[in-house]
Amino acid sequence: MLWHRRLGLSTFVVLIFLAISGFALNHSPGLKLNQINLSSNWLLDWYGFEIPLAEGFQVDGKWFYQDGNKALLVDGHNAASCTAPLIAVAQTTDGFFALCSNGLNLLNRDAQLIEQFGAIDGLPPNTQAVTVLHNKIYLTFDSTTIDSTTIDSTTIDSTNIDAVIMEFNAHSLELKPAQIAPKALKDMRQAAMPLPESLQKTLKEQSSGPSISLETLILDLHSGRFFGQFGVLFIDLIGLLVCILSITGLMGWIKRR
Amino acid sequence: MLKQLYRAALLTTAAACFAITSLASFSVNAKGVYQSGPDFFTEVFAQQQAESKVLWLTPEIRSQAAAIVGHPVRGLRIRYHQSDSKTAWILEEIGKEMPITIGVVVEDDVIQQVKILAYRESRGGEVRYPAYTAQYKGAALQEDYQLNRNIDGITGATLSMWAVNKVAALALYYHAAVNQSSATHQP
Repeated sequence: MLWHRRLGLSTFVVLIFLAISGFALNHSPGLKLNQINLSSNWLLDWYGFEIPLAEGFQVDGKWFYQDGNKALLVDGHNAASCTAPLIAVAQTTDGFFALCSNGLNLLNRDAQLIEQFGAIDGLPPNTQAVTVLHNKIYLTFDSTTIDSTTIDSTTIDSTNIDAVIMEFNAHSLELKPAQIAPKALKDMRQAAMPLPESLQKTLKEQSSGPSISLETLILDLHSGRFFGQFGVLFIDLIGLLVCILSITGLMGWIKRR
Repeated sequence: MLKQLYRAALLTTAAACFAITSLASFSVNAKGVYQSGPDFFTEVFAQQQAESKVLWLTPEIRSQAAAIVGHPVRGLRIRYHQSDSKTAWILEEIGKEMPITIGVVVEDDVIQQVKILAYRESRGGEVRYPAYTAQYKGAALQEDYQLNRNIDGITGATLSMWAVNKVAALALYYHAAVNQSSATHQP
């Protein structure tokens, strides 16, 4: 019965693991396993969670980004309220202009909020961009939201017929039709870029991203699902072996008597 | 016969569903923007020539304003409209979770009008009714930067009421700050 002993030995480690994990699952509420959340990168990767890289705008050496929770952060410092998405950031010699979906934030050179220009103050909805050219601030709008009388044929974007460009006065908060070629503005526009690692890390620590409870992890290890289809088959095989071993063991014991 | 009964039952169910959903949508209609800032100023200064001005928040104004509303105020400047001794302000304050946009008109250190311009919370929107906001007319600021009168609250709108009270006191304080600074600037 050498084969019997060898088979028994090979299942030994797995059986111990199944017994312990089964014990843990049985007492999961008492051990509060479902309240322990794991969010390490490799685990989330393994489970197929996509962790989007947070993006922001780097202007004058400062990083402007949205924290996913209604705040505009400038290098980790909470500067203003900002409903996602943060659409664009531009700078003049006076300060910075950060356009969020709830309004345009006017910040000084130290990135302190001066004031916010929102819908209630007369900012048309669907503002698409804020751009600075020759120290003048231009806002691009969806033409359907603007009064048609203010549209000048020269301001209509030739590539995007629905866009209207207006010049913004940061002191009086007034908008007036701009005499500018849309192409010139388009070249000045900056695209959002992934944040550097250090900011990425602090942002992740502050916000609650996806996570997996310890209970789920143990259950998946116990059933073999953690390793996919083959994991389940492997646990099935162990189960089958245990059945065979106990039957043949009993038969061998009876024979010897 | 059975078919007719079945059809009647189906119709009643559909009618009931429609009634419930329309009722539900009525009750959440408190949310919304009632008037834009420029429209508010135009209405307030209908006959007068009003100037758009800016109050820069000096450290002293900031610290006093923070004491009035109970948290640091955002921004470095506040925009207002003025015509002689009358000023109009648009200020925001969080009721429970969302900001309430409130327009306040002050004349001779006394509130002339309070108007809710935008309300974004799902409950407590009763503060926008003129019957409630009329209570603020004639209110002035005490020595301790509180309103000099009691405002009758509305059940279920306590937090919104506190927000309106704070903004009313803040507007009175800003009005005083404007007059003070213009008095010192004059030769």
